[in-house]
Amino acid sequence: MTNVIETRDLCRTFGSEETEVTALDHVSIDIEEGEFTAIIGPSGSGKTTLLHLIGGLDEPNGGSVMLSGSNIANMSGNELSDFRRDHIGFIFQAYNLIPVLSAEENIEYIMLLQGVNAAERKKRVREMLAMVELEGLGDRRPAHLSGGQQQRVAVARAMASNPDIILADEPTANLDSKTGISLLEVMRDLNQKRNMTFVFSTHDEKIMERATRLIHLRDGKVELDERK
Amino acid sequence: MLTLKLAFRNLFRNTRRTILTSLLISSSLIVLILVDGIMLGMMDVMVGGITHTLEGEAQVTRKGFRNNFEVEYTIENPTDVISQIKASDAVEGFGPRVIIGGMIASSYNTTGGLVYGVDARQELNVSKISDAIVAGQYLSGEAREILIGKPMADLLEVELGDRIIITAATVDTNEITQELFRLSGIFEFGPEEMDENLIFINLDKAQEVLGMQGNLHQVAIRFKDPEDSKNPELPLFKQLTDEENEALGWLDLQPSIGAMIEMSGYTTAIVGTILFLLTSLGVINSMFMSIYERIYEFGVAKAIGTTPWQIIQLVLFEALLLALLSCVIGLTLGYVLGDYFSVNGIPMGKMEVSGIVIDGNMYTRLALYQFVNFPIYVTLLTLVAAIYPATFASRIVPTEALQRAL
Repeated sequence: MTNVIETRDLCRTFGSEETEVTALDHVSIDIEEGEFTAIIGPSGSGKTTLLHLIGGLDEPNGGSVMLSGSNIANMSGNELSDFRRDHIGFIFQAYNLIPVLSAEENIEYIMLLQGVNAAERKKRVREMLAMVELEGLGDRRPAHLSGGQQQRVAVARAMASNPDIILADEPTANLDSKTGISLLEVMRDLNQKRNMTFVFSTHDEKIMERATRLIHLRDGKVELDERK
Repeated sequence: MLTLKLAFRNLFRNTRRTILTSLLISSSLIVLILVDGIMLGMMDVMVGGITHTLEGEAQVTRKGFRNNFEVEYTIENPTDVISQIKASDAVEGFGPRVIIGGMIASSYNTTGGLVYGVDARQELNVSKISDAIVAGQYLSGEAREILIGKPMADLLEVELGDRIIITAATVDTNEITQELFRLSGIFEFGPEEMDENLIFINLDKAQEVLGMQGNLHQVAIRFKDPEDSKNPELPLFKQLTDEENEALGWLDLQPSIGAMIEMSGYTTAIVGTILFLLTSLGVINSMFMSIYERIYEFGVAKAIGTTPWQIIQLVLFEALLLALLSCVIGLTLGYVLGDYFSVNGIPMGKMEVSGIVIDGNMYTRLALYQFVNFPIYVTLLTLVAAIYPATFASRIVPTEALQRAL
């Protein structure tokens, strides 16, 4: 199998001198294509920081991140934006949909950035809505959707650009148990059908149960890396 | 298209703030239109005061005459000059004149003054002597008619029909001559300088008394298009100007007023600059408030691949829409108010500016450029003011912005 994510000696500290906090301490992991990986650990263990560094949202103090063979440290700001747009899908704990756009428009937005033509955009929006089981709700704005529905739209948005990797930061944290399970089933289904790589940071046992791999972080270090 | 839609919806996310900011911008536009309209109106009054009261829009004189009104500086070949003026299509009317300083005496008092010999009929086309009459009547061509200002009439203690004697030196022999007149009319132009010093008699009589035999000191001209008077390249000016005579428009005759008009342009520019600076601070403040409220959205947008330039475009689109909305409001209200004041005027009381009396209302004048150029300035200003917040938004670090969403 091909590694789609490779981190080497990844370090990240916050603050300075007396207030310095080490969020990640020489983290090296490889994640293969199609893995359904959960990064777990207590609060402050560095899960979200690792996810942000993998996604190129933050810069490490040391070490490197290779995504699909490309070292993101060598990319300019615009190249990194383009890389994220074309290769990475993000799902956030707080959904983070654009409130003035409808569900359809939120999904369409990223394809617009990619320069996908209007007909293709419409077609893919319909597919994505069907995939997350939100047909008929595409014209609703986020405020008129439940939390679970909003997170489904966020999943559809993340999938719309046909990325290689989906990075999901506590995606079920704000959802009730039933909705969380339902959403996880959708993501697991996508993972299996499309061989798309998912990396979660989570405390949620439901995700841990379904993950094919668990990476345990503690105090910024990999404590345990287990494949099921 | 989605960016435009997004910008439009973002603009109305906080309707109250958008309307308030829009009112701030549109108020600047309204004030600018009104200030410029007032300036144009004031200039119209001042220019009209000069050109329509007595001076005319242009004058032909002997070179050097205007320096100290030397009586022997008469126009060379006055018949040719009049013929050329009559032949010009640009001319609406003209008034031939003789002008001489003299002593004016009544039975009770004596004073000095400037005597204008005017052609009663032709003068109607260039000056407002007739309109300024407050007692008696305008010149009818009778030989002994004389018009004086009210202050002079008070000084001389004369009433209509009373005798007035003008004493002056003749042009041909330089001998002192005296002539008796009967007060036929009293005028009030407004400026005291004019009302205290000017005397009008019929041209033929003036030429006869002063021994001028058909000679003239001045021909005042009014054009069909007043703009012609500002054009020094006008063919008529060139035809009438030679080694002896000169033909000048009112801007050259009254350079101080030309300077005032130029200053009024600076006044509008200064007012506009101050307004624009204050407005731009309001726009920057409003845009920053809007950006801070949506900081996590910009973080998300950047996280999913929106480039900094695309963020800048979005914020500038919002500014553009805000400017367009403000221009619609500003132009509408600016037109309504400007039009109202152009008809009803702004009460100013009585005041005198550079010898021109503004009595009563000041009327604004609307011009096309106010509704074309000023909105463009306002739109550009809003866009320039939005560059700073747009750049700030484009530099938002996604991880920091996303933390605020939690």
